[in-house]
Amino acid sequence: MISFINVKCTFHKNAGVKNLNFSIDDGEFVFLTGPSGAGKSTLLRLIYMDLFPEKGKVLVRDFDSASIKDREIPFLRRKVGMIFQDYQLLKDRNVYQNVALALYASHYRTREIKSRVYSILNQVGLGHRVHHKPLELSGGEQQRVAIARALVKEPIVLLADEPTGNLDPRVSLELINLLNKINKKGTAVIVATHNYSLIPRVPGARLIQMNEGEVTSIT
Amino acid sequence: MTILWFLFKEGFKGLIRSKYSGVFSIFIITISIMILGFGYVAARDTLFMVENIRAQFDVDIFIKQTASNEDIASFEKKLTQMEEIEHLVYISPEEAAVKFKNEFGEDIFDILDYNPLPPSFTIRLKTIYRNLISVEAIANIIQSDPIVDEVKYRKNFLIILEKYQRIILFSVLGIFAVLTLISITLTSNSIKMTIFARQDIISTMKLIGATNLFVKTPFVIEGTLEGGIGALLASLIIYGFFYVQNTYLQSFFDYRIVVSYRFYIGLFVLGTFMGLVGSKRAIKKFLD
Ligand SMILES: Nc1ncnc2c1ncn2[C@@H]1O[C@H](COP(=O)(O)OP(=O)(O)OP(=O)(O)O)[C@@H](O)[C@H]1O
Ligand SMILES: [Mg+2]
Repeated sequence: MISFINVKCTFHKNAGVKNLNFSIDDGEFVFLTGPSGAGKSTLLRLIYMDLFPEKGKVLVRDFDSASIKDREIPFLRRKVGMIFQDYQLLKDRNVYQNVALALYASHYRTREIKSRVYSILNQVGLGHRVHHKPLELSGGEQQRVAIARALVKEPIVLLADEPTGNLDPRVSLELINLLNKINKKGTAVIVATHNYSLIPRVPGARLIQMNEGEVTSIT
Repeated sequence: MTILWFLFKEGFKGLIRSKYSGVFSIFIITISIMILGFGYVAARDTLFMVENIRAQFDVDIFIKQTASNEDIASFEKKLTQMEEIEHLVYISPEEAAVKFKNEFGEDIFDILDYNPLPPSFTIRLKTIYRNLISVEAIANIIQSDPIVDEVKYRKNFLIILEKYQRIILFSVLGIFAVLTLISITLTSNSIKMTIFARQDIISTMKLIGATNLFVKTPFVIEGTLEGGIGALLASLIIYGFFYVQNTYLQSFFDYRIVVSYRFYIGLFVLGTFMGLVGSKRAIKKFLD
């Protein structure tokens, strides 16, 4: 489903990623680990094509980084859900509106939007906070809103960049359990983290370790 | 349908959310439309006055002394058939003598013992022919008639009039173009502030798979609404001003300003256009 073929993508001073060669299949759960600056976020950005390789290419289903056109990128992003350490929620909209936005952007119809948003919010356990603004929620709740927003359009893969970075250990664990549950329903999940304690919580997860822009070990 | 309604609501909410920068955009458009509106009326009335002066432009046709009354009558008939002529007056030598006395205060017969004044016609051309080129052509045609001694008109008057009319017209058009550009630039900058304050929406929208058109449309709707509101405010102010002038200030400035509803529609269209173009230009910068 996702393939990196000889990918090199660097910024000035040669920081970035290089020699990336691996594939991730449908429905897999992958941990992406490594020290700060190893290139985890860069790798994820290459998947949702926020960045493009200078050498090699990234394939996501039928989307090819080498030939994708600007106007096709939104369609790739509808297949790829993303969540971030800082959640990236819109502060002036409530939970419902934040999640519904993703469906409006993907041109769903009003009635379908309503039922989908409520159902996904119930799944992440936020059915009772629908009308709250993000700043009225705890960090763990905000992260679950972000997950709901990423999942509501039923992506093939969910990318999480440091999703537990701002959460305490207990809430982090709840979050990983939620991601695991989502994965069990068939969505591939890729979690970039340097919180190694999360890894044993997902039995059978693959592990990609990175250092200085390169993959050092892969299971 | 869902999506159009959503985008329109977003644009409208954006207008309410943007507060100060929104008010600022509206303010700029109001000022620009006011200047353009007043400028238009001032230019229009100036040109109208010039046209009025032009309306007093006459052509005199002097007939040869030797012409018989029948010749003059048939010539008059010919003139009446010319479609360029609005109306004509025949001045016999006797009437010319009276006119001469009225104008110079001296009886022509006191100076000479015969009347040297020839019979003549004074013609007024239709409005569209009151320009140098047409007048010259018409004068030539008339001049070619053997009965005609001389065709006289104030050529310099026409030349100067046309020169000033051109200067007024072109400077007005120039000022309008420049003002419109300035307002679009200012509007675009102030809408840029609005967008800058809400960049998070743009990046979030792009992350969740919104097309550029989807991201752009609410901002463009917002800008267009601001343009429309600005134009409405400007129209109200202009209307109020004209109303006060026409009702209360008549005794000071004896001048009635008359504009049709089309003038206000024009202002509205112009303001909306400024908002539309301004916001389109503004959002471009944020979408790569
Ligand atoms: N936009 C950028 N411009 C310049 N250099 C960048 C940029 N983004 C990342 N880098 C560099 O590329 C390297 C990899 O960065 P990346 O953010 O992928 O690391 P990371 O593994 O996600 O780190 P962290 O765990 O701290 O999030 C780093 O050396 C970083 O400084
Ligand atoms: Mg990172």
